[in-house]
Amino acid sequence: MTQPKIAIETRHLTRKFGDIVALDDANISVRKGEFVALMGASGSGKTTLMNILTCLDSASSGEVWLDGVNATAFNEEERREFRARHIGLVFQQFHLIPYLTALENVMLAQYYHSVPDEPSARHALELVGMGHRLEHLPNQLSGGEQQRVCIARALVNEPPLIFADEPTGNLDEENERKVLETFQHLHDEGRTIIMVTHNPVLGGCAERIIRLQHGKIVS
Amino acid sequence: MAAVNMRWRLLYRALSRRNQRLIVVFLALMTGAAIINSLASVYFDINIKMSRELRTFGANFYIGPTVSQEMPISAFNDVMANAPDNLIETGSPYLFGTARSELEKVVLVGVNFSAIGLLVPYWQVEGDWISVDFDNRNAMIGRTLANRLNIKLGDTLNLVKDRERKALKIKGIIDAGDASDNMVFVNLDLAQEWLEKPDTMSHALFSMNNMEGEVENYAHDLKEKHPEWTVRPIRKVSSNEGEVLSKIQGLMGLVSVIILLLSTLCVNTSLTAIIRERQKEFALQKSLGASNRSIITQVLSETVVIAVLATLAGCILGIFLAQILGQTVFSSSITPRLVVVPITFAMSLFAALVAAIIPLRRIVQIQPAVVLKGE
Repeated sequence: MTQPKIAIETRHLTRKFGDIVALDDANISVRKGEFVALMGASGSGKTTLMNILTCLDSASSGEVWLDGVNATAFNEEERREFRARHIGLVFQQFHLIPYLTALENVMLAQYYHSVPDEPSARHALELVGMGHRLEHLPNQLSGGEQQRVCIARALVNEPPLIFADEPTGNLDEENERKVLETFQHLHDEGRTIIMVTHNPVLGGCAERIIRLQHGKIVS
Repeated sequence: MAAVNMRWRLLYRALSRRNQRLIVVFLALMTGAAIINSLASVYFDINIKMSRELRTFGANFYIGPTVSQEMPISAFNDVMANAPDNLIETGSPYLFGTARSELEKVVLVGVNFSAIGLLVPYWQVEGDWISVDFDNRNAMIGRTLANRLNIKLGDTLNLVKDRERKALKIKGIIDAGDASDNMVFVNLDLAQEWLEKPDTMSHALFSMNNMEGEVENYAHDLKEKHPEWTVRPIRKVSSNEGEVLSKIQGLMGLVSVIILLLSTLCVNTSLTAIIRERQKEFALQKSLGASNRSIITQVLSETVVIAVLATLAGCILGIFLAQILGQTVFSSSITPRLVVVPITFAMSLFAALVAAIIPLRRIVQIQPAVVLKGE
């Protein structure tokens, strides 16, 4: 049986919050191994789309196919399970647990996925250039280092889909460059990456840009 | 195994690397546990302590003759020998009679001096109590009589009968605030001999344990057995004893419940604040695939560990607190009891778990998409 070539597909996806239509009849398709940037101004619906694609939220109508699975009708438990097994998340604000070391933060993702495995957690941190900071707490790391720990956490379970929400939004130029290099490296390895950004420079690094405006896909 | 290790690692890190609010939870639970522990210790000791305390108001049981003025000393011996175990704390026969001193007639009272201290603990004595029953050289005298006879401490009072004289050295002067202030107290044997009333007493007084109303029951039994005796509990003390005890125990129960409620409220407020502070952490865990159940288990484990440690500390503190209460209220120590420990643990853990219910419900309501969105 051949694996599906499409990593993500949405069909007439709509998300309403009361009377407000945050996402309006969105149709997108992302191939496996593609590096896509979701761009748009604030309030354009990119975070809403991202939340649905990462199974953190569900659509009001339409369909979502993720890694060949129809995720539209998932209940909360199924969304949680799918998220743990298929999705890696990188946040703008890193969201590292302050009382766990860099290594433990990465192992936490393994703990909720299957079982913690210290050697592979070390490997994930080494992959993002953080092998020398394993036992440091988040408040002992710079913003760029924290983001790289966050990326290692997203990678450690080798999920087929990696989503990054404004991954360099809180970083200086130097750290932005390092994080982008990491994403490029992951893309070269063949991973599917969806990055939400309003930064044109960052968007320019992606293979393809999907633009949103007022909840609609415009290009 | 690795998952279990990670669970313990999370628990250990969460407790060891944060958080000032946890100290508030710890202190609230420890204080509650200490107070519950000390009150429970006092509760179990209070019967003994209060009974002893109330008996400082004097004897609480009387037997005397029904028709004549006197009765045989065997009645006293019979009561002392045949009363139920541990009922009688002490007792003394009293023999009253009139004797002549060199100056005037005086009321002579024969008693067992070894018991008198517990039967009339409210006497204020200048000098010393006579502590042994066989002392027939010394006497105690009431203040009013001593003043009238111009007798001072250490003076000699001479009893006179026909050609006989008996010199008694005054060892203590009594301020009793009752008729005793006009009497001379000597040992029973001397009184019987001097008054020529061998093996006789006027009545007897006892101090009895009355934790559960035993005195009333015993009086009833004794009346049936010896209708020729007047038998009566001295109600002023004995019947009130039970009422006071139950009121104090009720008050202690009420205080415990209030303290428990306050602890629960304090822990609840702190846990709510902790959960609010940590909601990004929990949202992240959910985004990584954690179930509500696993996060609730994690927070509950933290709460139980804190509650157990706080209760342990509270139990130790409670032992000292109980001693302070015992010394302050009853002027005696409180016996530490093992049964208090499980009671304290059960109540503290119950308070902690009740306090955690509402904060834990907030965990279920955390929406990772809302909490984790970039700003």
